[in-house]
Amino acid sequence: MITYKVSYVVIGGEHPGAIVNELARPEVGGQVKIGKSTFEIVEIYEVMPMRGDFAFLHATVRPVKLPVGKPDATVS
Amino acid sequence: MPQLDLWKAVGLFGGLTDEQLQRLVDISREEHFRDEDVIVEQGTEGEKMYLICEGQVEILIRRTPRETARSEVYLGRGQVFGEMALLDLGKRSATVRCCQDGTILYSVSREDFNQLCSNDTAIGYVVIRNLATDLSFKLRHRNLDLGSGDV
Repeated sequence: MITYKVSYVVIGGEHPGAIVNELARPEVGGQVKIGKSTFEIVEIYEVMPMRGDFAFLHATVRPVKLPVGKPDATVS
Repeated sequence: MPQLDLWKAVGLFGGLTDEQLQRLVDISREEHFRDEDVIVEQGTEGEKMYLICEGQVEILIRRTPRETARSEVYLGRGQVFGEMALLDLGKRSATVRCCQDGTILYSVSREDFNQLCSNDTAIGYVVIRNLATDLSFKLRHRNLDLGSGDV
């Protein structure tokens, strides 16, 4: 089973982003919760070649503005 | 996720056999934290490495005594921190704060890790080799993060 080690970098540089191991490959349009905030994935690419069962990905994300009163249904 | 499967999915331990991993699991200790708990404090003595099983932590660094600590990165499932404590005797380079209730970590002490590596040098070789890759990935994240203002 492949483990995806993902570097999430937030557009704008004001949020430090995150590094998380994911069991499924993240997809563009998916959402991720980092700390108390939710982000949408806008770009993904391989940052280093796979080694063994590990894939190394970079994901660019942007903040999601949730509608008022809508529960935060996110992954991770 | 069973404990051994979690450890298999940690890059730092990639290449270890199930038996070697189990020996690492055997010397680890499960620790539970809540939102806002400070797990390690910058500048203090460090003698344990932590593996994140569930939840997230925030890495904060204060560059000067007068400066407010600044968030550098969040780490989630499968990530390790405090691993430098296994290699050197330096003080903690960052403060690590829990940012989710129900965060579960496994800690391994330097003393236990060194003892294990003395008994099985192959474990030490694999972990140190993987440590270089892990640090490289963290540096790449940092470099990309610094450049993200231009995206």
